[in-house]
Amino acid sequence: MSIFTLNQVRKTFTHGEVSEEILKGISLSLKEGKVTALVGASGSGKSTLLTIAAGLQPASNGQIQFDGKNLSGMNAEQVRKIRAKEFGFVFQFAHLVPFLTVEEQLMLMLDVSESTLTKQDQKRKVTEMLEFVEMNHRKKAYPASLSGGEKQRVAIARALIHQPKMLFADEPTASLDSKKSKDVMKLIRDLTKDLNLTTLMVTHDEEMLAYVDQIVKMSDGTLVV
Amino acid sequence: MKMAWKEMKKNKARFLILGSIVFLISFLTFIISGLANGLSQDNAALIKDLPDGQFYLNKDADQNYTFSRIDHVIQTELLNEHPDAVAFSMQMGFLHDEAEKQQSVAFVTATDSKWFPKVNKGEVILDRSLEDEGMKIGDHLTNPQFSGHLTVKGFVDQKKFSHAPVAFIHKEDFQEMYRVDEMQLVFLPEADSSQEYTGLESFSNSEFLNTIASYKAEQMSLNMIVWFLVVISGLLFAIFFYMMNVQKLGLYGILKAIGMKTSSLFNMMWTQMVVITAIALTLATALSQIFNRLAPSGMPFHLPLNTTIFLSVIFLLIGFIGATVSGIQIKKVQPLQAIQQGEM
Ligand SMILES: Nc1ncnc2c1ncn2[C@@H]1O[C@H](COP(=O)(O)OP(=O)(O)OP(=O)(O)O)[C@@H](O)[C@H]1O
Ligand SMILES: [Mg+2]
Repeated sequence: MSIFTLNQVRKTFTHGEVSEEILKGISLSLKEGKVTALVGASGSGKSTLLTIAAGLQPASNGQIQFDGKNLSGMNAEQVRKIRAKEFGFVFQFAHLVPFLTVEEQLMLMLDVSESTLTKQDQKRKVTEMLEFVEMNHRKKAYPASLSGGEKQRVAIARALIHQPKMLFADEPTASLDSKKSKDVMKLIRDLTKDLNLTTLMVTHDEEMLAYVDQIVKMSDGTLVV
Repeated sequence: MKMAWKEMKKNKARFLILGSIVFLISFLTFIISGLANGLSQDNAALIKDLPDGQFYLNKDADQNYTFSRIDHVIQTELLNEHPDAVAFSMQMGFLHDEAEKQQSVAFVTATDSKWFPKVNKGEVILDRSLEDEGMKIGDHLTNPQFSGHLTVKGFVDQKKFSHAPVAFIHKEDFQEMYRVDEMQLVFLPEADSSQEYTGLESFSNSEFLNTIASYKAEQMSLNMIVWFLVVISGLLFAIFFYMMNVQKLGLYGILKAIGMKTSSLFNMMWTQMVVITAIALTLATALSQIFNRLAPSGMPFHLPLNTTIFLSVIFLLIGFIGATVSGIQIKKVQPLQAIQQGEM
């Protein structure tokens, strides 16, 4: 059985009298240790699907199964706990905390996920993770002094420091140039393999598809096979 | 919480500004409250120094001690019944020193008691402030309504009434000056309002102070300023944290997205509020206490530490409420909003 499945997920946005169905019954299984990419035209509903899968907004209808649990039946606090402990997020922009150093960003994430490690072990883990994304030499730096690619690498480190089972990424390379985009994609692919993650990402960039295991195309709220 | 501290360290200027404003407002509040206290002391130390009890005025006096005359029979009865009781009278007037310089004073005469100094006929005991005006023990003072002269017998500390230094004189000298036979007031220490006497109206200490029109008006306006400042500081907290929170809504959204609890975000804000206020209040308290010591003796300033601590607690409470009210936005923020807004 797959670790993450969407079953007939629907989403309707209502603005006053007008309501529009953005997701029209989406079913999808993600494979452990694999990167799945969502592609499709702008406005086809990729981000909406990703954020619903990631527990950042509820679906109007349908089931979301994660690790044997039914995400769609949980209350907000239960979903928050899952996000804190089992999910990692990377967005188009790094969204780092401006007043924390690189190292502190990762320590914060360990805090949020209620890590039971000792402070010493946490520090060691942070160093390991930063070495992995080749950012350890900047661990005392604040986000403002980092380049876009460096920020994104820190964001990836933050998304994975607490060893989540799932990684969600919405256009993680959109703000980077082609060379840096490839580096970030390789990093996501390698980490997914090494840490046995299940990764769901959205991308606009055809070139990035070389680094993914499964491609799912969306069109107007449905999956195209 | 560490994050609260880290943010303050990184954004020192921002928090320093808030801190200085809180400091200035609380310091101003302490000073005004010290003035209110000082003026009240200056206006009525004579009465305020008495212990809790009851003041009795003639019912016909219409709550105005200057019109009150206590019947001799009742006075004798009361004083016999209560060994600590005292009957006394107060009148504003003038004394001329030997160089014919005029000093306005509050003449007070009283029956023998432990509450007021005892004076013999032809003698006067003065408030210490008149010593600064050049009066000395042994000086002969005169008054236009008084045939002889009054010899200065001594000085007492902090006896003021109606912003004038008190001059304690003998009953017979008082009678000669003001041509009244009866005392205006009887004070029964430790009595309570249940003790009624026919023909007399009873007042607690604060009720009696409030019958003095100038005292009431003065204290009311000063207290209003103090409370006004307290309310302003509350609003200030609310506004400042509101603006800071608005700037950080994106960040709060991200932190919520990665799974941080809303309560942790509130704790962060509360920690910052408490740290800033505590530092500002400590400084304001220290400085106002120094001012209390150093204030020139002519300046009516009196600021007990208790008052400062009481006001500080109010400041903390109101800052807490202000910050919390403004923090409602934190509760409302959705993780998605922030993500879609792009780079902060
Ligand atoms: N909160 C919302 N309220 C109303 N409509 C929304 C909301 N969020 C998304 N939509 C609409 O849903 C549709 C799909 O949006 P979505 O962001 O999922 O597209 P996308 O595939 O990610 O596009 P892009 O490639 O441009 O990022 C759009 O028409 C958008 O306007
Ligand atoms: Mg999108």
